[in-house]
Amino acid sequence: MIRGFQQRAEQKITGFQSPASDYLEGRLNVADVLVIDPHCTFYFAMDSEAMKSRGLWPGDILVVDRSLVPVHGAVVVAVVQGTFCCRTFDNSGTNPVLTGDTVAMESSDGENLHIWGVVTAICRGMLPPGLKKGRYSRVCAL
Amino acid sequence: MFALCDCNNFYASAERLFKPDLCNQPVVVLSNNDGCVIARSEEAKLCGIKMGDPEFLVRDLIDKYGIKVFSSNYVLYGDMSERVMHNLSRWFPRLDVYSIDEAFGWLGGIRNLEAYAPKIRESVVRNTGIPVSIGVAPTKTLAKLANKLAKKNGGTLVLDTRQKIKDAVDIFPAKDLWGIGRQYYKKLEELNIETVGQLRDLPEMWFKQHMTIQGQRMWNELWGRPALPIDARTESKKGITVSRSFRNYIEDADVLCEAVTLYASRLAEKLRHNKLRCLYLQVFLYTNKHREDHPQHFPSQVQKLVLASNNSHDLVQAATRMARKLYQPGIKYRKAGCIATGLLPESELQLNAFNAHDYGKKDAVAAVLDTINLAYGRGTLRMASEGYEKTWRLKHEHLSQGYTTRWHEILRIG
Repeated sequence: MIRGFQQRAEQKITGFQSPASDYLEGRLNVADVLVIDPHCTFYFAMDSEAMKSRGLWPGDILVVDRSLVPVHGAVVVAVVQGTFCCRTFDNSGTNPVLTGDTVAMESSDGENLHIWGVVTAICRGMLPPGLKKGRYSRVCAL
Repeated sequence: MFALCDCNNFYASAERLFKPDLCNQPVVVLSNNDGCVIARSEEAKLCGIKMGDPEFLVRDLIDKYGIKVFSSNYVLYGDMSERVMHNLSRWFPRLDVYSIDEAFGWLGGIRNLEAYAPKIRESVVRNTGIPVSIGVAPTKTLAKLANKLAKKNGGTLVLDTRQKIKDAVDIFPAKDLWGIGRQYYKKLEELNIETVGQLRDLPEMWFKQHMTIQGQRMWNELWGRPALPIDARTESKKGITVSRSFRNYIEDADVLCEAVTLYASRLAEKLRHNKLRCLYLQVFLYTNKHREDHPQHFPSQVQKLVLASNNSHDLVQAATRMARKLYQPGIKYRKAGCIATGLLPESELQLNAFNAHDYGKKDAVAAVLDTINLAYGRGTLRMASEGYEKTWRLKHEHLSQGYTTRWHEILRIG
């Protein structure tokens, strides 16, 4: 994996040189493992309970990569009849269909189905309301 | 071989990417201040909307065909442009970004271009969602021509043989050729020249005589001999301008200064971004020249700064002072702008023996300003003289969201 350019605040040491200065590595950044190709990645927010069984909850941030070609079982962002939605891509039958928890929107024929991108990861804040204060109110907040 | 990659109806395509219900619908994008049409989807072109049409003139067409109108959202277009250019750069040994939606690529050493070009196109379209067209030819001028033909040819066109080039130039209208302006076109009309094929058959001397060195280059390029290199960089910037129209007319000196403050601070920001300082600052004001019943006033003034500067404080101070001097009561101003000239690299600061130089402080403040605005968004920290109400701010009533740059504006989906 190629790491992004590391910006590490070099400590100004006034007394003894740090013995660690030759061994500094860039600190881990979660974006490196969530976003593989930033130039092809877009973000959406989940706003319904249609994918609860796949572990997607309302309010989750969807990391969507357009460069991937969906395979059976992938969670995708698709356009159905002019509207964005997040569903599971089901390629087991003759025609690919989208499935979700609610039965209403599932089957859609190939012509009206347009896959916009593949969901590679989701981000969810885990703080209970009591801790969502100050700068911590911004954890995965939209 | 060169390639010219160009986004189809870029602004309209970028808007439609996040509004899938507008797929195959007519869409137009208006210029700053919602003035004129600056981008149209193919469907809007078919509705008879022309490039540059003022919005109020085409309002009937917009209503009649239900055309969707957008204000220009440069935050979005800038980000989408970077995505397209970055994706393109993966396919070319060298890429020269020519404008927000066009880039020249150099294809030295790459074989089987007939297969390569569609691959590039497919990948960029899939990864970014923006449709692009690619024209490939031995010279930049021919690549540009191939690109225009490619749009009607499935998106790519490779002119790699003499015969293919000849077939292309023979059908291409001379008036649409890169480098042929209205003036040259008149000349060609007099000579009854309609296609590029006829044009390049003229003797080299004709080009030299009528179109100077640029014409000679064009002649060579049309015959497949490259005269324009890939990194034909324009010389370094001579001046940087920030100018904008107001939403309504400004008749008040204080309000005018608010606007000039914003433009001067933006100018200072641009200078700092380019690591330049300016020695001269110019301020100009415009009235609306289309309103013959209004008194007209187009004043402008240049001031030499004491020291070359790029901090907001110095530039705003000089600019507002000039604006107050230029301002005349009773005149309806429509537009103002600031131009920085006499640009020097930041590193070449020339001190003036008679002035104490306290850049340390002002530049430190400017650096803090830039850092905070980078982290929290442009305009978070600004000069107070910009004012708060900003009734003169540009009109953009049909602005879409910052889908790719602001967390609270990403799309919520079901």
